[in-house]
Amino acid sequence: MKNLLLTFLLALLVVLSAISVRRMVAGTATTTVKSPALIAIGGSPVPLPPPPTPQPSVRPAS
Amino acid sequence: MDSNVVGYSLQYASIIIEAALVVYIVASRGLKRASEVALYLLSLLVADSLRAFILLKYGLTSQQYFYVYWSTDFLLVISAFLLVCSFFRRACRYEEKTWRLVRLLLVFVFLLVVGISGLSISRNQNDLFTYFTVEFNQNLYFTCLVLNTLLYLLLQQIESADDQLGLLVCGVGIQFAGPAASLALLHLTAGERFAQSLAHLTIPLCTLGMLLVWAYAITRIKERAIQVSGCKTPVLAEVTAD
Repeated sequence: MKNLLLTFLLALLVVLSAISVRRMVAGTATTTVKSPALIAIGGSPVPLPPPPTPQPSVRPAS
Repeated sequence: MDSNVVGYSLQYASIIIEAALVVYIVASRGLKRASEVALYLLSLLVADSLRAFILLKYGLTSQQYFYVYWSTDFLLVISAFLLVCSFFRRACRYEEKTWRLVRLLLVFVFLLVVGISGLSISRNQNDLFTYFTVEFNQNLYFTCLVLNTLLYLLLQQIESADDQLGLLVCGVGIQFAGPAASLALLHLTAGERFAQSLAHLTIPLCTLGMLLVWAYAITRIKERAIQVSGCKTPVLAEVTAD
């Protein structure tokens, strides 16, 4: 039981360290897919954020 | 020269090396010894090939490439996590007690990453892709970075004689730490143009670096290991004869 608790605390430490490193390195508190502060795996070029899709204009009903 | 050309060159170089390494592992019957590496390389190969196809068809700024890129990244970070787990297993091959603790630790780590990433859904429930997949990818990526560093320290601590594992872990370190460093540079320079273009090239460049280190580890170290194990028997015979 003691080992289980210690292992859980160690896991929590690992995950919190990872998230802290991420926040420090990326310098952002929130993530969106349009953010340039994203890291990925693979040899392909990182995609540029797609242009925003035009929103259909809403006309007030006459 | 356009940085896109460099990006495409790195992409095709990575695909060729990934395919060559998979073929080499299968042809040299090293699948049993390096099955985890072969599986990771195969997932990289599939992801990179799919990305290359979508990139050719729709272009770099297309929405299709954007979503295929981040979706395949989801599979790749899970493969990377499993790879790091299998490296831990290999490092603790002769230490069953340590492995039992490490295995539990890895399960907890994965569950915590899923849980913490799941909290992001509460911010916006409409766009699951944006607020969970990307958050999960980034969290698991940095968790793999921390775990890989811990694994490297563990290898130093137990003075592992597995040279191939040491190099494989170093290769993974290049892949994870390089982009993180370039991102830190981007943050420090407040998004300067040079840092931005460097950050875009660092990910494929570091993947290529990892593949080259792995190519050396898989093709060279294996032979040396066989030679070392081959010369062990006479030494033991001499000792027992004395």
